[in-house]
Amino acid sequence: MRALVVDDSRAMRKIIAGALRKLGYETVEAADGAEALKVLESGPLPDLATVDWNMPVMDGLTFVTQVRANRDYRALTLMMVTTEAEHGQIVRALAAGAHEYLIKPFTVESLEEKLSLLGLLPEGAQA
Amino acid sequence: MTELVEEFYDEPTDYVEDEALGQIVEAMWASYFAHTEFLLPAFDPHDIEGDILCASVTISGARPGIVTVSVERDLASPLAAALLQEDGELEDEDIYDSLGEVANIVGGNIKALVPDAGPLGLPVVATAKPLHGASDRLAARMDANWQGRWLTFEVWLAGGSENSEG
Repeated sequence: MRALVVDDSRAMRKIIAGALRKLGYETVEAADGAEALKVLESGPLPDLATVDWNMPVMDGLTFVTQVRANRDYRALTLMMVTTEAEHGQIVRALAAGAHEYLIKPFTVESLEEKLSLLGLLPEGAQA
Repeated sequence: MTELVEEFYDEPTDYVEDEALGQIVEAMWASYFAHTEFLLPAFDPHDIEGDILCASVTISGARPGIVTVSVERDLASPLAAALLQEDGELEDEDIYDSLGEVANIVGGNIKALVPDAGPLGLPVVATAKPLHGASDRLAARMDANWQGRWLTFEVWLAGGSENSEG
C-alpha cells in the first residue's frame, strides 16, 4: 500500500511517514496542498493521503475539496491529521470529502485504529 | 443587555486554565516524547535565564491570542532530536520546524477551548518571546523541566478589562 503524507512540518511528516512505514506502507511526502496535487498528477495514485489542515500555499481543506472534485482521484482515501480539534472543523472536513479525522497529538495506536476502520491496515499489521 | 455585559466581563481564564494546558502538554509528550525522559512540571513559575528559542502560534477570532513554547536555547536541539527520533547534529531548519510543531500542536488544542476562534496561524520561531497587546492576559502557564533544563508553555488571550471599563 502507498500513502501520501501532506504536512508543512518536516518533523510531523517524518513522524507520520515513519508510523505508516512500520505498518507496511510505502510513503511519499508533500509540504502543502499544491505540492500534493502535483504528486497525484504525476501518479501512481496512492491508497491513502494524510492531510494537515494549516499549511502555507494551499491548506488541507482546499486540497481535500480539489481532490474530491476530480473523479480520477475517487479511489484515494483522505484522512485529516491536524491540530484543528473543534467539532465544527471536523464536520467541515468530513463534509468536504475527508473520510477520517485524526487530531494531533495522536498515538501510533490511534492511527492504526483509524486505518483499520477504513480497511486500510496492511495485511499482517496489528490494529 | 445582560448578555452583552456578561460577554464584556468574561475573562481568558474562563476558557483556558493551567490544568487544561497541562493536560494538552502531557498528551503531546505521551504521543511524541514517551521514549525520552519524563517531563517534570514545576509547582512554581520558573523564568528561563539566558538565551531562549520561542515558538508561537496565533489564535484569531472573537478572542484572539497567542500560544508560546519557550525553551533554553541549548535544549532546542535535543528536543528536536527527540521528536524526530534522530541521533547526531540537526540543522537549524529542523530545530525550528520541530519547536514550531510543538507550538502548533499545543496551540491547536488550546484553540478548541476558545469560543468562536478563527484560524490558527502558522508557527513562528524567534529568539525572544513575542510582544503582547495591552489588553492581553496570561490565561495559562506551565513550566517544566526536561533533561535538567527548562521549558515554558504560555497561553495569552485578549482580556475583557478594557471593554468592561468602557
